[in-house]
Amino acid sequence: MKIFNFFTKAALCFAVSTSFLSLSADAQKANKLTDPEIASVAVTANQIDIDYAKIAEKKSKNADVIKFAQTMAKDHQSVIDQAVALATKLGVTPKTNATTKSFLAGAAKTRAMLNSKKGKAFDKAYIDNEVAYHKAAINEVENVLVPDATNAELKSLLQSALPLFKTHLAHAEMVQKQFSK
Amino acid sequence: MRNSLKVFRNSVIFLCTLFLLNGCSSPDTNKSKNEPAEQKTSQTTDTVVLQQMQFIPAAVNAKIGDTIVWINKDLVDHDVTADSGKAFYSDTLHVGKIWKMAVTDSGSYHCSIHPTMKGKIVIK
Repeated sequence: MKIFNFFTKAALCFAVSTSFLSLSADAQKANKLTDPEIASVAVTANQIDIDYAKIAEKKSKNADVIKFAQTMAKDHQSVIDQAVALATKLGVTPKTNATTKSFLAGAAKTRAMLNSKKGKAFDKAYIDNEVAYHKAAINEVENVLVPDATNAELKSLLQSALPLFKTHLAHAEMVQKQFSK
Repeated sequence: MRNSLKVFRNSVIFLCTLFLLNGCSSPDTNKSKNEPAEQKTSQTTDTVVLQQMQFIPAAVNAKIGDTIVWINKDLVDHDVTADSGKAFYSDTLHVGKIWKMAVTDSGSYHCSIHPTMKGKIVIK
């Protein structure tokens, strides 16, 4: 009887653990972004930084901040243009998803925060946000978008954008130094 | 005996003259032989590719008069700007475009759009 109980408990444990594992795999599968969703995230993330740059170009008087903002606006537009060209070529229509919505909600709050500041406080807030935003974007591209992308050309475009975002981060950190004094 | 001495003295003078002539003329002969060949091979063209936000190679070993060609194969526009003064500047190098320059001096350069991108010209 004891042996029977042992095997019953063991079987139950095995069943629960395997169902948990399969649930976990299903959950991962459900969270995995499709290529149209990845295209949407990529375009949105780049557009958000262009919008931040436009605020900086309008509000800042600091030459380094303005030059950095101009570079962000130009470079991220270039990435959008290439992403849109690739999506058009592949017949992929960017699809809004939870990640896109989350990015947009965060961006609205950040724009409001930036618009409420002026002078050196604005410059510092803008550059601090650029450092944080590029760190988050690099993490998203490296750990979510590239692994999830199934189309080889889309994956390649995302991978080739990584050095650009890393250079932007280094540039932002360089400008940030003058506000830490 | 006198005749023998005279012959010996003349021989020594002849040999010395030959030696001097040979010593003086041979380097010039070599130089004139080598000069055109050196000129043919000395002026070369080096290529620097702008890719993945880097100048590849980061350092170019060149000679004065060589040509360096920069090719922008990146996702975004760049430029080639000398670190010191106004030694050289490519203007905006759009995606897919090239810019070339004859080397006149060694020096470091960068991309003024992305100041963390750096390169160097080293004179051999």
